Amino acid sequence: MNCHRLDRRQLMAGAAVLGGVSLLGQPAHAKGTVTAAIYPGNWDEQYRSIVAPALKEAHDIDLALEPLFAVDQVAKVVAARGVAPFDCFVLDPGPRVTAIERGLFEPFDGKQLTNAAKLPAGFVDNWGSAVNAQIVGIAYNPKKLPKPKGWKDLFQEPYVSRLGLTGFQTTFGTVSLIEMAKVFGGSETNVEPIFAEIKKILPRIAAVTPPAALPSLFQQGQIDVTYTNTNNIDSLRARGVDIELAIPETGAITFVTTLHITKGAENKENAYKYIDTAISAPVQEALLKSPAVLLPVHKDVPLTANLPIKSLDELSKFVAHDWSKINPQRPGWIERFNKEVTK
Amino acid sequence: MAVADADTARPAARAPNEVKERVEWRLVTPLGLTYMAFFAAPLLLLLWVSFYEDNELTTFGPGQWIKFLSDPFYVGVVWRTVALGIATVLAATLLAYPLALVFYAASPGVRRLLLFIVVLPLLTSVVVRTFAWIAILSREGVVNNTLMWLRLTAAPVPLLQTQHGLIIALMQIEMPLMLLPLLAVVQGIDRSLVEASRSLGGSHWRTFFKVLLPLSVPGWIAGATLVFASATTAFISQSVIGGGRLVYLPSVIWQQAMVISNWPFAAVASVLLLVAVLTGILALNAISRLIDTHGN
Repeated sequence: MNCHRLDRRQLMAGAAVLGGVSLLGQPAHAKGTVTAAIYPGNWDEQYRSIVAPALKEAHDIDLALEPLFAVDQVAKVVAARGVAPFDCFVLDPGPRVTAIERGLFEPFDGKQLTNAAKLPAGFVDNWGSAVNAQIVGIAYNPKKLPKPKGWKDLFQEPYVSRLGLTGFQTTFGTVSLIEMAKVFGGSETNVEPIFAEIKKILPRIAAVTPPAALPSLFQQGQIDVTYTNTNNIDSLRARGVDIELAIPETGAITFVTTLHITKGAENKENAYKYIDTAISAPVQEALLKSPAVLLPVHKDVPLTANLPIKSLDELSKFVAHDWSKINPQRPGWIERFNKEVTK
Repeated sequence: MAVADADTARPAARAPNEVKERVEWRLVTPLGLTYMAFFAAPLLLLLWVSFYEDNELTTFGPGQWIKFLSDPFYVGVVWRTVALGIATVLAATLLAYPLALVFYAASPGVRRLLLFIVVLPLLTSVVVRTFAWIAILSREGVVNNTLMWLRLTAAPVPLLQTQHGLIIALMQIEMPLMLLPLLAVVQGIDRSLVEASRSLGGSHWRTFFKVLLPLSVPGWIAGATLVFASATTAFISQSVIGGGRLVYLPSVIWQQAMVISNWPFAAVASVLLLVAVLTGILALNAISRLIDTHGN
């Protein structure tokens, strides 16, 4: 019995010590935290090494990053049914429209961002803020193939037998296939011509692959030409892979990646500070110079010499797409692509 | 020992046996409840979701099941997935048995070394092992470079993104799952039975087919079950090695659930994947019972 009483006392004393420590710990703790979803790989690495320390220094906020692809973020928040699993999304245009339709964002107040005025018009709206621009074009191995001129080249030798084809699951895959369809007489909502062309070249192409395997296949020489975004190209080049961007004669494709606050987010104020830090000039410049080469949206950030654009204004001349028209058709295209390419 | 005692004095031991059974049930209660909460309940939920007609889960009906089962493409995907499991089991069996025989004949020291080699691949992630196969099977990979260096082929042989390439990779990736139970059973086979067969004039092959093979079947059944279940559900290997032209059930589930957000259709595919795996396991159990009966 004595022993039991002693245990209880010890327990009480232990609890008191723990409580005391937690009270003592609070003043030394950061002003708070913010949890943000981030694309796995390059984005995750650079946000961890550049954005997290900047946010800590500027606002004393700890940034917790959760690596998730865009579709996984949307699926996770839908599955959580109102309990926000993270405070911020990072999304490309397609999943962004899906998330808006499903009501997954808090309304966004651009006035809370001190850097909002430094972004091109329309880059901050009622749903979120642009954070980086992406350019999509043809990626090819310059040691094995001449520079392709346009999308049509991919369907002819010497490119077609070295081509890595990926479907409509990703934003870059979808917009590239739409641009190819346009070259063969299609449009943003009519991709029928591309299915007909793919059918013709299917026995000759090097690989049909899920997007995650594209970099490895390029690195291993299984494919020597494909379509992807500039930061995928830059990160492969940084690893010593022979890879260059070719801008098709019909124009490169551009879209912006955006940050959003999750509906019911726990740390809304901190989320605004995180977004403001991510679009601030020093952070944008560091992200551009990092191996990921994330294209800035802040107008004051000088663009480096090896980029396909000399100023942000050039982006407006590139090809952009209306995702509210694409999204309703995309499930059908994905299913059709599966059926057309399956052996 | 308690079981042996009960067996020898069965009528008198009935009361203690009943007590023992009650105790056993109580012991499995925590695991049972965990399975109910985290396995059976989500499974029922999955079945429930599959009977919604729309992505927003508002209308109830069999529409998604009809869509799946009336589309030859999706029915074909189910068959292709099952065939991949069977092919991987057969390939793994062909390579596992010779090693099992070497293991059976080996000294304890060599057995320990072999066991270490068998377990070694499990120490690296399945993702790493899968991506390593790209380096092995690609156009400029180890296999093609060797074949071309030996002048056995003029141009690279297509291995990556082919069904046979995928089966080769899966066979290696899943091999420890086949070998571990098989070696455990082979290790326990009484050597005097083999010696008796040999001394009575049985050839090596006859001894293998009449003595070693039947006695090792329980290990093979366990290994084959694990390999079949693992190969049919190996999403990463199927997508990375098989590529976009070989569509299996796991990639249909991923696309429908994550990219298209059609959860009911993904639920139908998930239930069918489960049925396919369970059918395979039941078939293997039936084989096991058949051999038992035949042997007895």
